[in-house]
Amino acid sequence: MKAILVWAILVFCTIVPIVAIFVYDAHLNDDVTAEILARAPEKGNFLPRSVTVKAGEKVILRVRNVDTVTHGFAIPALGVEGRDIKAGRQSMVEFVAEEPGDYDFYCTAWCGDNHLQMRGVITVVR
Amino acid sequence: MSEEKQREGEKLLGLIPLDWRFDLTALPLVRWLFKKRWFPMLLILFNLFIFMVILTGGVIGGFSSGNYSITIMMVWILWWVLLMMLLVPIFSRSWCLMCPLPAFGEWLQRLRVFGVNNSLHGLKRKWPERLKNMWLMNFLFLGTTFFSGFFTVKPLATFILLGGIIVLGVVLSLLFEKRSFCLYVCPVSGFQGLYSNVAMAEIRVKDPAICAKHKNKTCVTGNSKGYGCPWMLEPHSFERNTYCGMCLECFKTCPFDNMAFNMRPPGTDLLVSKGRGLDEAWKGFIMLSIALMFFAAMMGPWSWLKDWVRGETLGGWLTFVVLHSACALLVVPASFFVFAWLSKAMSGVKDVSMKAVFVNLSYCLVPMGLAAWIAFSFGFLMPNGSYVLHILSDPFGWGWNLFGTAGFEWTPVFTGLMTNLQFATLILGFVLSADFAFKLAQQTYADRAAARRGFLPILMYLTGLTLFFGWLYGG
Repeated sequence: MKAILVWAILVFCTIVPIVAIFVYDAHLNDDVTAEILARAPEKGNFLPRSVTVKAGEKVILRVRNVDTVTHGFAIPALGVEGRDIKAGRQSMVEFVAEEPGDYDFYCTAWCGDNHLQMRGVITVVR
Repeated sequence: MSEEKQREGEKLLGLIPLDWRFDLTALPLVRWLFKKRWFPMLLILFNLFIFMVILTGGVIGGFSSGNYSITIMMVWILWWVLLMMLLVPIFSRSWCLMCPLPAFGEWLQRLRVFGVNNSLHGLKRKWPERLKNMWLMNFLFLGTTFFSGFFTVKPLATFILLGGIIVLGVVLSLLFEKRSFCLYVCPVSGFQGLYSNVAMAEIRVKDPAICAKHKNKTCVTGNSKGYGCPWMLEPHSFERNTYCGMCLECFKTCPFDNMAFNMRPPGTDLLVSKGRGLDEAWKGFIMLSIALMFFAAMMGPWSWLKDWVRGETLGGWLTFVVLHSACALLVVPASFFVFAWLSKAMSGVKDVSMKAVFVNLSYCLVPMGLAAWIAFSFGFLMPNGSYVLHILSDPFGWGWNLFGTAGFEWTPVFTGLMTNLQFATLILGFVLSADFAFKLAQQTYADRAAARRGFLPILMYLTGLTLFFGWLYGG
């Protein structure tokens, strides 16, 4: 019994916090359609650079800036206005795309020499 | 006059007797707490929980900016400030009491987490005699600061540092006896050890006569109530805080309740000659030099230096490494040597070696060094401390709001007073250093007139050092 208690305490202090972090985050974001990492083009650009969603359905994108400079995000053709995302932070983007097609998304904050190459595409399908 | 007799008559700044003590364990609640096996363990487990979150944050944060990372904020803002401003100056090596880094290694040695098992496991090798000093820690800590441009801003770099220390702690715990890792390797241990000489707390015996009659010395060997000193000290007779990790085992193992946790005037241990050496002298020089370099690089106006430290170019970083090492290992010690030489020359005393003068008097730099670090800490606490409120609620920049403070944006706090606080701290450090410089000169030269003459060059050095730091911090 005592050994079980010791192991329980050790697991609580070591593994539980790690697991709890990811479980809690998954719970908070269970309605997220996709996560996009934002990095300067020379460090990998947006990842993924292509996201496929269904027409007529609410889309929630979690855009995480894992870089060291501020990036922006916008999907002008879908009415998603530009917003700055500071380094180490994230932004939740919501929209509904009614019509199928390809819609570009861009970085809207000057982030370096290759800023204009920082882009991707949302593919809307039926 | 014996050293102990001399110390008995000394007063800090001519006001506070250096032999004044207040035993905190005279308070029944404190004594009760110190004798419980769960007391330090509870703190260790709590900190272990926090460290797991910090380590996870390091992996999640990757190479992103550190100001929204719990890893960077907790380690380099919160913990570092607590260590330098509160734990070390007041409570000596009390961080070692609750540090989770060596915990796994120690539990593997003991093959248990709770309870007592004095039959330790592992190879239990003795640490090499030639390395039973601070030299290894000096070079390891200096080496760690080469990468300060990465560790202090990149979450993953901090993860690698802390993870590496944990792994090293486990390996060395299985190879060597007891807390050899903590005593001779841990990068945090060295400066805690030296600066704990200034601390306002100590663990000592209450009545040495009781220990003299105690044949078994269970504070060293251990008993059913606790472990023999994991720090391999002899609690019944040690005189300095330098290597005492305040684990409180001696409170548990002493059958006569003869251990005390005393509050005392700052700097008391600086006058204890036993254990002094070039290793500790160099630790003092290295810490001073690092405070200088860190401020210049991180808060100074020289962007090219910042670029070097951050490794924007390999050549720049290597130049920084060479300059930083030369400053810490050569320039600062050499500058002090000049004034130590002048001290000996002006004292007129011939029968004291230059080495003794150099080593003894170098201890007067300890209060100044600690003051420089506290002043430096104001420099990032007040502008950046507000980030801590944000990261408590949103530790990984994932949009959480655990405690409702995620919306608390960056807010500098009382930064208009920052320089004043830094100056005040430096002046306090100067005053304490000067006071102990004179006392150390008296110890070294014995003759009071000679000590006065020998003190003057050191006073000049301390004055120049204070003015230099004041210029650096004040702009």
